[in-house]
Amino acid sequence: MDIVRWIATNVFGEPAILLGFIVFLGLLLQKKSISQLMSGTFKAIIGFLIIGAGASIIVNALLIFEPMWKEVFNLEGPSLGEFMGQEAFSAKYGGAVTLAMAIGFLINVFLARFTKLKYIYLTGHMMFWTTIIFAGIVVHTVGDVPFIRLVIFLSVIMGIYWTVQPALTQPFMRKIIGNDNIALGHTSASVALLGALLGKLFGNKENDSEKLKVPKGLEFLRDSNVITALTMGILFMVGAFILAGKGTPGAQELMAEAGDQSFFVYAFIQAVKFAAGISVVLMGVRMFVGELVPAFKGIATKLVPGAKPALDVPVIYPYAPNAVILGFLGAFIGALLWLVVIGKTVAYVFVPTMIVLFFHGAAAGVFGNATGGVRGALLGGFMTATVVAWGQFVMVRMLIGDTIPDTAMWAADSDMFILGPVIRFLAQLFF
Amino acid sequence: MKILAVCGLGQGTSLILRMNIEEVLNEAGVDAEVEHVDVSAASGVEADYILTSNELAQSLQGHQAKILVVNNYFDIEEIKRVLSQNRVI
Repeated sequence: MDIVRWIATNVFGEPAILLGFIVFLGLLLQKKSISQLMSGTFKAIIGFLIIGAGASIIVNALLIFEPMWKEVFNLEGPSLGEFMGQEAFSAKYGGAVTLAMAIGFLINVFLARFTKLKYIYLTGHMMFWTTIIFAGIVVHTVGDVPFIRLVIFLSVIMGIYWTVQPALTQPFMRKIIGNDNIALGHTSASVALLGALLGKLFGNKENDSEKLKVPKGLEFLRDSNVITALTMGILFMVGAFILAGKGTPGAQELMAEAGDQSFFVYAFIQAVKFAAGISVVLMGVRMFVGELVPAFKGIATKLVPGAKPALDVPVIYPYAPNAVILGFLGAFIGALLWLVVIGKTVAYVFVPTMIVLFFHGAAAGVFGNATGGVRGALLGGFMTATVVAWGQFVMVRMLIGDTIPDTAMWAADSDMFILGPVIRFLAQLFF
Repeated sequence: MKILAVCGLGQGTSLILRMNIEEVLNEAGVDAEVEHVDVSAASGVEADYILTSNELAQSLQGHQAKILVVNNYFDIEEIKRVLSQNRVI
């Protein structure tokens, strides 16, 4: 029993080690060289540990953003309250999340091998975020859960989701890319489908977005660091100006946090820190996903003949680059509108994460354009902001408040919001 | 030799490009280190070649590496063609 307990604590209880082990196994199965084995395993472990560091930078910036906008809207609503946060949650449940990702992927490969749904989900960073957010919902709903049961619950749900989601979007994918070789494997599937539906209902297919000329000056939108820093910068600065104008005791208290520094410079730096934190997290995810996915892909392609890879959402962007910009524009306008409306009605400060709005809005834009031209693309984008804004409110307030609302604020997105209540319901049944 | 595969976020798409480049290099028997990064990080990383899309290539101009444009990250034939035209393989 001592050995079992030792393994439980030191391997399954330490997600970084478990992840390194999984990558090591994947590379070994593919008979990679010693040098590849070593670099792959270590990079996976380092990457996983970097995520926690980045997450705490983001949280610190959010802890300023939230009270700032609360003061702007005069909100009295509940604050985030007590919660575990990404680092503590990862330390406790990260092993289960990591293992569920691996087993979920094997279930996906198994389903692809023996059913007609021949899709292998390869978007590793979304595999990670979806699994950890769903784990956060489960623990929030039913409290502390046993390791094995959490792994079983998550891996079955993830395996099914990763197999079915690409199949649902594939009819439109064939239309957009003109062949059946690759599929979409991304959590923007729900808003992409919504975009296609709205485009069909309200759009005009003849008015194709690709007939438009997009100004060259919008090219910086392709760099996610720049969009995030810029938008958060603007939001922090607007918030700072309103606070400075208000002069209420609450506003003065917040402004005093800047100390000797100008409050505007302080606010701007916080905005850029938020962007920097995201960049650090993404670097960590890149390191471990970059080792995990090739390790898995080699295994999957050997086991499933005729498998179609389900890939990250930018695969569809080249087919309608203007619709990408229009979708983001629709999402951005929607996000600003909902920031004010949600603040004023349900007293929640929406964090408009540009990465989510850009990538998902763009997907909805491309799908919307395929059925409804320019209007479809804009509507798809707007619908994305609607799902993301209200979804974040429901997720943070009702589904994940005790566990990782900090992560949900910037890393949870469309499909997770749509599936969130379902996961909660299933968790109540299973645990 | 070091090659960078670059996309906007440096997560999924550039990883696929990296795996496809590795496949092409492997087939040709060329040994190289291939890394995938986002476009901001790429401008600060030393490399011999950068493979990326036309739009991102604009913002990487001035990088000491040779920048090669790939239109379709999933087209092994195109990647092969671009690499051989530039004598990488």
